[in-house]
Amino acid sequence: MDERSSRRQFIDRASRVLGFVTIGGAAGVLAKRASANSVYQVDPLRCTSCDLCRTSCVLSLSAVKAVNDFARCGYCQLCPAYMDVTSQPDATGIPTGRVCPQDALKRRVVGTVDKDDPNNNYYEYTVDETRCDGCGKCVKACLPPAGNGSLRLEIRYDRCVECNECAIQLACPDRAILRVEVPGLPPRSAGQAHE
Amino acid sequence: MSRFGIPLRRVATLLFVVAALASTVVVAQYQKKPPDFGGSYSFPTPTHPEPRDTWVRALDVAMLAGGLGVAAWLILKRRTRNGVVLLSVATIAYFGFYRRGCICPIGSIQNVTASLVDPHYLMSFGVIAFFFLPLAAALLVGRVFCGGVCPLGAVQDLVLVKPVQVPERLDRALRWLPYVYLVLAVIFAGWGLHGTWFGWHVNIGRRFIICEWDPFISLFRISGSFQMLTLGGSFILLGMFVGRPYCRWLCPYGGLLAIGSRVSWRNVSITPDREVDCGLCANACPFGAIEHHRAHRGNCVGCARCYESCPFEVERRGGPSAEVQLAKVMRP
Repeated sequence: MDERSSRRQFIDRASRVLGFVTIGGAAGVLAKRASANSVYQVDPLRCTSCDLCRTSCVLSLSAVKAVNDFARCGYCQLCPAYMDVTSQPDATGIPTGRVCPQDALKRRVVGTVDKDDPNNNYYEYTVDETRCDGCGKCVKACLPPAGNGSLRLEIRYDRCVECNECAIQLACPDRAILRVEVPGLPPRSAGQAHE
Repeated sequence: MSRFGIPLRRVATLLFVVAALASTVVVAQYQKKPPDFGGSYSFPTPTHPEPRDTWVRALDVAMLAGGLGVAAWLILKRRTRNGVVLLSVATIAYFGFYRRGCICPIGSIQNVTASLVDPHYLMSFGVIAFFFLPLAAALLVGRVFCGGVCPLGAVQDLVLVKPVQVPERLDRALRWLPYVYLVLAVIFAGWGLHGTWFGWHVNIGRRFIICEWDPFISLFRISGSFQMLTLGGSFILLGMFVGRPYCRWLCPYGGLLAIGSRVSWRNVSITPDREVDCGLCANACPFGAIEHHRAHRGNCVGCARCYESCPFEVERRGGPSAEVQLAKVMRP
């Protein structure tokens, strides 16, 4: 083995060792602040339904969806998240406009139906997840005092690809996207108010 | 003073407090408590799809580590192009379509940057493994990640039907682009771009531009915006004639791996003990990575096409003897 070749080998080996040391060190530093068993979730108390979840998610139909917490929902006949209360009322005084641009919030009468007085009925509101794009307009409209705050935005793990990007975390102006422990329930969940 | 010795004012206050409490209870009743509907209605529970199990998420890292090992074995030990093609198909199936392109080491550059710059930014152990494992592998066995494990590379490798050699000077110049892209990606992931240059006000927040401009992600997700689909389509069209355009001239992670691969312990080596300088391997290499009948340590992505074209390798696998093959090729 001539001198040139052995020098080259020495340089290679030295760089290799240096490379491994750098990689190991950097991985160690990063591992200290990483979390093993956590996923992204929306903090409903920080979220301001700014519409960025809809536009920022890497999926073309966002992984963030509105979720109705039935235990909190008032089952109102005049739901401010369902109908646009500023729109033109019809003959019976019910606003005709809808809040959801995707028509993803569905309602049906539940319980004992009072046929004579529609205002005396209760309505169950469910989010059609195939249509919801996570814009959060209903969430905003349901906030107290107009509503009960039963609607919230939530990252749906059946859609979330858990990508390394989480673009909505970067985009969120309220730092409302947090890492929470598996099973990924929203922190300080609005749903626990009753339990 | 009243009969029981309690001042009237205090009674009034007490009454007021009780009334206030009662009214809040009434309000709370209206606002919080679910009403009694009558009938047989039971409350639905809001659905809450759980995230994938920890072991499923660990599977990603295991698949990456395993893929790197298999790729190194297929490329350096078995020297089989067919094996690399099979591995490429598998990696497109798993990392591409099943995992929908996430998580990937190329994008993890930005996570590492964001995590170093912003203490609020948290990432998982999986992303750390995805960033460092292929780098460590490159220091040991060269760019085997590019060769068989990266779904983006695999897509480009499989669509390459009629490779055209790119002029060497152009190729050399374009190979600097990954490092420009790397610097840009780090700046955008860590800080964004704020300031005024030449009268232009730029105010862009932190973004992950590698992910945003990933040309093949829309293919893996079978959805995407118009410009992303166009970009993906044009890269695939270009990739049919030019070998791995994204890997060679854009991929920032490929740039990092090339640095590691230059000093690696083992590399793709072109039969150094049995050489006839026929140049068949250089003709077979679609990436211009064979210079002076030797694989360029930084540029070689380990596709194993050179081994397939080599008369000695064909002979080793039980084909006709190298002399016969060479005589066929060398005949004027």
